Amino acid sequence: MIGLLVIIIILFALLGIPLFIALAGGSLLATWQAGLDPALLAVELNRLAASPYLAAIPLFTFAGVVLAGGGAPQRMIQLFNAMVGWLPGGMAAVALTSCAFFTAFSGASGVTILALGGLMFPMLLRAGYGERFNLGLLTTSGSLGLLFPPSLAILLYGIVSGVSIDQLFLAGLVPGLLLLVVLGVYCMYHCSCTNVPRHQFSMTPLLKALREGIWDLLLPVSIIVGIFGGFVTISEAAACTAVYVLVLEGIIHREIHFTRQLPALMKDAAILVGSILIILSVAMGLTNLLIDAQLPMKILGWIEQHIESELQFLILLNVFLLIVGCMMDIFSATVVVVPLILPIAASYGIHPVHLGIIFLANLEIGYSTPPVGINLFIASQRFGRPVLSLFRAAVPFLLLMILWLALITYVPYLTLWWLD
Amino acid sequence: MPTAEPGWVTSLRDSLVRLDGFMASLSLLLLLLLVIGQVLLRNLFDGGIPHADILSRYLVLYVTFFGAALAIEEHRHIRIDVVSILFKPERLQALRRPLYLISAIICVILTRAAIRFWYDDWQYVAEHERWSSILALITPFGFGLLSLHFLLGALYPKPAQDRST
Repeated sequence: MIGLLVIIIILFALLGIPLFIALAGGSLLATWQAGLDPALLAVELNRLAASPYLAAIPLFTFAGVVLAGGGAPQRMIQLFNAMVGWLPGGMAAVALTSCAFFTAFSGASGVTILALGGLMFPMLLRAGYGERFNLGLLTTSGSLGLLFPPSLAILLYGIVSGVSIDQLFLAGLVPGLLLLVVLGVYCMYHCSCTNVPRHQFSMTPLLKALREGIWDLLLPVSIIVGIFGGFVTISEAAACTAVYVLVLEGIIHREIHFTRQLPALMKDAAILVGSILIILSVAMGLTNLLIDAQLPMKILGWIEQHIESELQFLILLNVFLLIVGCMMDIFSATVVVVPLILPIAASYGIHPVHLGIIFLANLEIGYSTPPVGINLFIASQRFGRPVLSLFRAAVPFLLLMILWLALITYVPYLTLWWLD
Repeated sequence: MPTAEPGWVTSLRDSLVRLDGFMASLSLLLLLLLVIGQVLLRNLFDGGIPHADILSRYLVLYVTFFGAALAIEEHRHIRIDVVSILFKPERLQALRRPLYLISAIICVILTRAAIRFWYDDWQYVAEHERWSSILALITPFGFGLLSLHFLLGALYPKPAQDRST
């Protein structure tokens, strides 16, 4: 009976019922089977609300939405173009850096492709880059900044796993930069092969772009200094970022009108927050019930019979997470999968911070892989191309990302260099 | 076939969306002011806002529930689109009614559970902490609001919009 009900819930989820309803249904079933009161789910929700990091999610989301609604995408492109656009593959590097910067704030919800993709695509075409290369580049770039502070995905992983978010932010820096370098070098190589013309470096546009974009550029720097300098907590850094962005877009650049545009942006931010945190609210009960039912231990028992070394486990983990990344979006995957794999990974001696970076890196790749890689669908909508042709265009970038994934998975030092 | 929406349903829906939008925005604004106020008071006057921690905790829940209610109306909830992407929009539209009805039922069960939890808490909470129990009403109210939105969506489905989140 219970098995049938579980199958029905999974079927509903596949048919497109909101994920939080599928998880809530699962939670209710689990309480029923364990003979517990469903009021327990409300207890779990209250426990979640007590997380000191939780307030950071709505505040950083709000900052990201305001940045996207204002003129930040244009300013970023202008600035990075003046800085690195003259290098071989420079315009592609502009796309990589602008997207990474923007995704760190917008939370990889697809806003990057919508906001920056539309601007960058014609610019890349005009600069002489091939259409297929551009489509692949912009589709994969939609999730590039996931490992940089103040990424929502990192915040959520920290809340779900109980790992220090400061440490996760620190751990994501080198892998995130490494990915930018790997893809940047590929772009340079591609441009040298296809003889894409380069523009001349000029000081005047750089100074002009710097004057316009310096405040945007200082934003991630001030977040990192604020948090790691011990001046503010994560939630306070999020509030300061939101105020900074409001001043930047509303007063300095006058891109956002406080009475005409701000209410709509706040509503938009609330919808994003609501759709993410409601999943977290109902899933915490389910995952805790599964943990109480010793599910991770049962899986571990099975894995231990077949997998002996840490290396073998990491290979299995990568394969599993790549499949998860193809099927689920990053927020729901974090809430559902992390509590289950955390104890198993710990038993193989994998540091929870390292696990977090591996987890997010896998899902970053999953964003651009079928059947449900959200980048593919948003890019398809934005550029008017079929999903399959976008996937084909993204393949060279994805292969490089898989190499990068292998590197950060099997060389933990890249993630844990700051540990004594 | 979608049922034509009576006038009172349209006005109820519009009022709900306006209320959700207002409450979500207000809660977000208050949360921002609260945390900023806390930073300023701590750094400038070595003080703080009493119970700021509890207040911010509940404000996050207010943003979450009202935001989630708006997400229902705008079809912006996160879904696993593995199978549904294969369907035509008309087929998806037809599927939405039973799925929303099931969603409404699940939310009603959660509302009932949240009311019981809240009532138990209310009975045993100390007199000076009653205010936080009143704020905690958001949990049963929030699930109730989600039930209502899903029920309206099941009875009078709106045309699907693009998922351009």
